[in-house]
Amino acid sequence: MSSKVISSAIVFETLATSVSQCDRSEKFFLHFLEKPMELKLCELIGLKRKIENIDLTALVSSQGPDIEILYLSHQHPILVLSIYEILELREVLSGTFTMLELNSLIHKSIHRKFS
Amino acid sequence: MKDILRRHQVLKLEIVDVINKQIKMEAHSSSAYLAMAGWCDLQGYDNCADFFFKQSEEERKHQLKFFHYLTDMEAQAISPAIGDCQHDFENLRDVFETALDIEISVTDAIHDIVGVCRKHTDIATEEFMKWFVQEQIEEEYIARRALELFDVLGEDKIALGMIEEKILSVSYDGAN
Repeated sequence: MSSKVISSAIVFETLATSVSQCDRSEKFFLHFLEKPMELKLCELIGLKRKIENIDLTALVSSQGPDIEILYLSHQHPILVLSIYEILELREVLSGTFTMLELNSLIHKSIHRKFS
Repeated sequence: MKDILRRHQVLKLEIVDVINKQIKMEAHSSSAYLAMAGWCDLQGYDNCADFFFKQSEEERKHQLKFFHYLTDMEAQAISPAIGDCQHDFENLRDVFETALDIEISVTDAIHDIVGVCRKHTDIATEEFMKWFVQEQIEEEYIARRALELFDVLGEDKIALGMIEEKILSVSYDGAN
């Protein structure tokens, strides 16, 4: 898996987290916590939605610990996220999709137009 | 950098959301028609029961058509949880009144999806939706004509018997 990570290009990064994409496998790598997570586009979209749907106000005001547990699929580890990590993921995923949409616009207006 | 977004995401997220919402609505309609069929069967209106069993199957087919469209477009289709639906009705007319209300709600929702498609210039999904727009013309027509039988024939026992006889022949011939 590490060779795939090396051949990938950074899509968006913050100080602690980044998302890169591998053109060969057409997958994304979320560099977060210890191990990078390999995600297909639909999984990345699913993760973004789950992160966006977390009710932070309810999390803060709840009696229990301020953590959210996310299950993506059997191929991925269960994510146990603190409020700080949720905010971190929100930022990196929002930035990632902005960049992906920008890349898509560039492809549409330049590459596909003149090919 | 490859345009993975375009290669694997055919539909905009807002389009996926409205179609998933529609999948749920069609599932709920199918469930509601099934409840109507059950009520009619219990009351001895066998043909009306058949009419609603058929309607229930139609809605289920619509649900699957939307579901397959999303999966074909590499989007996540959500199999919906369906809430409770109406099982008790005042009389046979009340059942058909409710059926027409359902069809009007579905038509409005279909038109809203077309509106969202236009907002995002999603021409492919708008084309896909054309079948449903036509289908709703037919569904609403049938629901309205069925209800009109009560206005024409009345609601006494003889009239209800005649409605039972006529209900399965209510159909839409197209805008000819």
